[in-house]
Amino acid sequence: MIAIRACGASFASGGEDIVAPFDLVVQRGDIVLFAQPTPRAASIAARMCAGIVKPTTGSVYVGDYETRLQPPQAKRLVGFVDVDGFDGDAHAFRNETAFRADVWGVDARAAHARAEKVFAALGNGDDRHKRYARAIALALVPDVIALVLDQPSRRIFDRVRAFAPLPAIVRTRVGAVATPDPIPELAPAAI
Amino acid sequence: MQEIRATIAIVRHHMGRRFALDFAMQFVIVGAIGYVFAHNFGTLYPVLLCGALAATNAAERAHAASLRHVSFFAMPLFGRQLARAHAIAPVLGALAIPFGYATGSALRGVPLGAQTITLLVVAAIVAVLVALSSVFRDGVRAALYVGIAIGAVATIALSALVPEHGLEIALTLAAVEGFFALRAFGETLARYDPIPV
Repeated sequence: MIAIRACGASFASGGEDIVAPFDLVVQRGDIVLFAQPTPRAASIAARMCAGIVKPTTGSVYVGDYETRLQPPQAKRLVGFVDVDGFDGDAHAFRNETAFRADVWGVDARAAHARAEKVFAALGNGDDRHKRYARAIALALVPDVIALVLDQPSRRIFDRVRAFAPLPAIVRTRVGAVATPDPIPELAPAAI
Repeated sequence: MQEIRATIAIVRHHMGRRFALDFAMQFVIVGAIGYVFAHNFGTLYPVLLCGALAATNAAERAHAASLRHVSFFAMPLFGRQLARAHAIAPVLGALAIPFGYATGSALRGVPLGAQTITLLVVAAIVAVLVALSSVFRDGVRAALYVGIAIGAVATIALSALVPEHGLEIALTLAAVEGFFALRAFGETLARYDPIPV
């Protein structure tokens, strides 16, 4: 099953090409690394994959839903983790979990239990690490088919990979873009 | 049903301790203005004052920054649904302005009539709904929406001066302006791309 598919998707703003056109097919269970030349471009590429930013050209699909035409349906299926993570303490984290459970229409108690479990598995580290781990736990409050991680640290990314079962993962990072296509990082069977 | 649950969640999210503090501060400050100036003002000036304060408050930059947070755009809602949810808390918060003015005025011994209070409330609501579109814009374009909001309030205030059916005309005009303002805010949200600076 295809979790995320992009066809010639690009992003430009103010006459500046920020994300060059790319094609992408991410199957459920895949982990894909998506390199962009700048942190801003990496963030925008991640937001495009999550249906948050609309592509200037081309299309992005999450599941069967085109992110420009059916944004709520697409966003319901994907969890997005911003580069800054979740900026809040344990109390704010609990409130945000309840908030997301309401917005996504999932059971609040189950969402709390799941978020705590994910955070316990990922959150052991410094402040930045904890912020990012909380954001991952919040992104996984609904049942998603894909998780988009914007520039995670290597350490937290390794822990996420070990946290099975997981949906498809798209991970952005800053680096040289050898080809416009993303680089498959790990075979699905390895999760 | 799910849309209602999401809307309530977003409204509750906006109405925290900060909201209550802002409400109380606005109520007291505008109440003080009402107390000092009520005996000099007629109907037109309080309506303009309440509308202008509500518009500038809704367009405030810290408020704009919080509404632009990427997490709101990751939610599975259409722009118009998000617009309705985002608009409720600022509209409720803006009610501190007309009620604060009315309270200050009453304390001074110049109680406002029901018609004037209705106009103040309606003006504040329309001003907020128009000014909300400015939160997803910057610079001159953001200021322009505040100007449009004050202009919309001015049309309501002036139409209320029409003899005999002034209130009815003002309320009809406010309903039309508020409807289109909320639609415009929904369009703004649907088109907005939360890209990092």
